[in-house]
Amino acid sequence: MENRAYNYAIVRSFVTWSVIWGLVAVLVGVIVSLQMVEPDLNFPPYLTFGRLRPIHTNAGIYGWGVGVIFATFLYIVQRLCKTPLWSDKLAKFQLWFFNATIIASAVTLLLGYTTSKEYHEMEWPIDVMIVILWVAFAINIVMTILKRKDEQMYISLWYMLAAIIGVAILFTVNAAAVPASLFKSYSAYAGTNDANVEWWFGHNAVAMALTAPPLAMFYYFLPKTTGVPIYSHRLSITAFWSLIFMYLWTGAHHLLWTPVPDWIQTLAMGFSVMLIAPSWGSVFNGYLSMNGQWHQMRENYLVKYLILGITFYGLQTLQGPMQAIRTFSAFIHYTDWVPAHIHMGTMGWVSMISFASIYFLIPRIYGREVYSIPLANLQFWLILVGQLIWSISLWIAGVLQAGMWNAMNPDGSLTYTFMETMVEMYPYWWARVFGGLIYMAGLVVFIYNLYMTVSKGKPLATQTASVEGRA
Amino acid sequence: MWEKKPVLLIVLATGVILIGTIITMVLPFAWVNTEADRIEGVKPYSALQQEGRDIYIREGCNNCHTQTVRPLVSDVLRYGDYSKSGEFVYDRPFLWGSKRTGPDLARLGGKYPDAWHYQHMESPRAMVPKSNMPDYGWLSANQLDPQVIQHKMETLGFPFTAEEINALKGKTEMDAMVAYMQKLGSDIPWRQNAKTEIVGDLTNPYAGVGHATMEPWEELYQQNCAACHGEHMEGVIGPELIGGDYDDEVLFEIIYTGIADGGMPSFSNLGTDKVWKLVNFVKYYHLGEGH
Amino acid sequence: MDLGSLLYLGVTFGLFVIFVLIVMRTYSRKRKDEGEIAKYRMLDDD
Repeated sequence: MENRAYNYAIVRSFVTWSVIWGLVAVLVGVIVSLQMVEPDLNFPPYLTFGRLRPIHTNAGIYGWGVGVIFATFLYIVQRLCKTPLWSDKLAKFQLWFFNATIIASAVTLLLGYTTSKEYHEMEWPIDVMIVILWVAFAINIVMTILKRKDEQMYISLWYMLAAIIGVAILFTVNAAAVPASLFKSYSAYAGTNDANVEWWFGHNAVAMALTAPPLAMFYYFLPKTTGVPIYSHRLSITAFWSLIFMYLWTGAHHLLWTPVPDWIQTLAMGFSVMLIAPSWGSVFNGYLSMNGQWHQMRENYLVKYLILGITFYGLQTLQGPMQAIRTFSAFIHYTDWVPAHIHMGTMGWVSMISFASIYFLIPRIYGREVYSIPLANLQFWLILVGQLIWSISLWIAGVLQAGMWNAMNPDGSLTYTFMETMVEMYPYWWARVFGGLIYMAGLVVFIYNLYMTVSKGKPLATQTASVEGRA
Repeated sequence: MWEKKPVLLIVLATGVILIGTIITMVLPFAWVNTEADRIEGVKPYSALQQEGRDIYIREGCNNCHTQTVRPLVSDVLRYGDYSKSGEFVYDRPFLWGSKRTGPDLARLGGKYPDAWHYQHMESPRAMVPKSNMPDYGWLSANQLDPQVIQHKMETLGFPFTAEEINALKGKTEMDAMVAYMQKLGSDIPWRQNAKTEIVGDLTNPYAGVGHATMEPWEELYQQNCAACHGEHMEGVIGPELIGGDYDDEVLFEIIYTGIADGGMPSFSNLGTDKVWKLVNFVKYYHLGEGH
Repeated sequence: MDLGSLLYLGVTFGLFVIFVLIVMRTYSRKRKDEGEIAKYRMLDDD
C-alpha cells in the first residue's frame, strides 16, 4: 500500500486545533473554579461564572473531545480501510468549519446567547452549523468505509458508525426550538417533556461522543501499541450491541425524584445497572489483551496511558450506575460529587486515551520521533495526580454536604441552614483549583513536547516506524 | 454478516438506538403535559416575568441553582412542597438544573419581600455573608425593550395586554428578574397549605434565663435575622426589633410561621428549640445584664 | 396479572431471548476462526 496517498495533513491540522481548544477548556475551567471560591473574580457582564461555565464544558466536549475524534477517526478510517480519504476537500472544509463553529460558540456564549440546556447551550444558528459540520464528517467517513479494501470491518469502525448516527439523532431532536430572533429561541418542548428530552440527549451525548469514540480509539491504538491483537473480537461484538442498545434507556437517571414519570426513572435505573456488563466487556477485553504483556506497562509509556484510561472507564461505569440508583441519588445528587464523577470520565478516561492517541499519531503523521519520553512520563503523572486531587476532594465535599443537607435534629427539624453547609465547601473548592492547576501543568508539558517534536524531533528511521511508541 | 456490510450496520444500529429512545423519550409525550398532570391555577408568565426568566437563562443562573424540589424529607423541609409536573407546562426550556451550588429556587416566590431581592442581587454578601454568588447590580442599568418582549410573548403564545407591554417602559432588567423570582413556585397555594398550625399552649422553655446564657444565641440571630432586621436589630428591610412588646408566644408564632403578606419568611425549619432561642434573644438580650 | 404486567414480562423475556441468540451465534464453534480474523488483520495495515 502506498502510504503517501493517505491524507495525513488533515490529521495534523485536527491534532493541532483540538489541542488548542483543549487548552482553552482547561484554562477556562481553572478560571471558573477560582470564581467559585472568590466571587470578586466575576467581571460582568461577560466574564461571570454563569456565562463562562458553558464555555468550559463546550470547549472541552466539542473543541477538545470532538476535535480529537475528528483527528483520530480520519486517521484510523484510512488505515483500517486501507484506502485514502474519500474527499480531501470535504475534510478541509470540515476543519475550517469546525474552527468557525467553535469560535462562534465561544463568542455567542460570552454574549449571553444560550438555550440553557446543558451541553447544548449554543443557540439555533450554531446548532445549524454543528449539523452541517457533522454531516460533512459523516459523509467522508461513510464513503471511505464504502470503498474500503478490507471487506470485514474492524471493531473501531462499528463504534465510529454508531457514534455518527447516535450523535446525529440526539443532537437534532434536542435542538428543536422556535426562534424568536437570530439569537433567542424557545424549546419546542415544555417543562417535564423538555427535561426528559434534554437528559435523553445529555446522557447519550456521553455515550455517543465520549464513550463510543474513545472506545474506537482504544480498540485501535491498544493493539497497535502493544503489537498484540485485542483479546477477543467476539466479546467486542456482544459488548458493542448491548452498549448501544442499553444506553438510550438511561437518560432519566439524571432526573430521579423529579416530576418525570416514575416508570421512566425506574427503567433508567435498571438499564444503568445493566450497562455495567457491556462497559466492563470492553474493560476486560483491554485487560486480557495484556496477558503476557504487562511488562509493557513499565517499558512503554503509551500502554500506561491506555491502560490507566480504560481503568478509569471501568471505575466510571461502576460509579455511574451506583449514582443512578434512587436511594443513592437522593443522597448525592446536586452536590459536588457529580462534577467529580464527570471529571474522572473526562480527565481520566477520555483525555488519557486522547493523549495516548495523539502520542501514537505524532511520529506517523510528522515522520519524527517523539521529542522526549521522560516529558511524556512527567505529563502522565501530572494529569493523573491533578485529576485525582480534583475528583477525590470533591467526592469528599459531596458526601459532606449531602450529609449536612440531610442531618436532622431530634425534633424533626433540619440541623443546618443551606449556607452553613455551603461554607464547608470552600476548602474542597480550593483543592479543586489546585488539582486543576496541576492538570493544566501536565497539559502545558504535553504541548511543549508536541511543539518540540514537530520543530526539533529526530526524523524517523523508516524501519522503526511500526514499533514507534515503545520506550 | 453485518461486519462486512456498513449500510446494514448503520440500519441495525439506528434501529437498536431507536428502541430505548421511543419507549423512554417519545412515549412519555402521551401523558406528560396533558390533562393527566394539569394543575388548576398554573398560569403562563406575564411579560415582565418571562423577560426575567430570559435574563435568568442569559446569565446562566441554572448553572448554580436548581428549580425542582424532590419528594424527600430534607428537600421539602428546606424548600417547601415538592415539585409537580403540571407546574412546569409553560417552561420553555425547563430550568431544573443539575447542581445546587446555591439553594434550590423552585419555591422562592413569596418567601422574601421584593426589597430583599433587590439588595441581594446588588450585593449578595451584604445579605448572606460568605455567599459566592456574583453581584448582579448592573442589571439595574439596563432598560427593557417592550417591543422585543412583546415579540417574545407572541412567539410563546402567552396572553398579554397592551397596558402590560406599555408598563414595561422605564423598567429595568433587575425589575424583571425580581418579578420572576417572586413568581417561582407560587402558582399553587402550597404556602397556605404548608402553614403550621400551632396546637396547645406555648410555654417559653427559656423564660428568665440570664444574659450570659443568651450570648451564644447571637450567632443564630446574625445568621437568620440580621440581613433584614440589622446587625443590632435596628431594622433594615424588616422593622426595628428593639422595643417590640409582643408576648413570647406571639413572637414565637411570627418567627415560626412567618407573615405571608408581610414578607417575613417562616423559620419553622430551624425547629422549635432554635426559634425559642431567637424569641428570647430578640426580646430580652438587648435589655442587658440587669434584666 | 393484568395485561400490562404480562406485556412487560413478555418484552423482557423477548429481549433476553434475542440476547441469547446473539451470544450463541457469535460464539458458535463453526464461526470461531472466522470470528477472530479481523483482529489479526488490523495489525498489518501498513
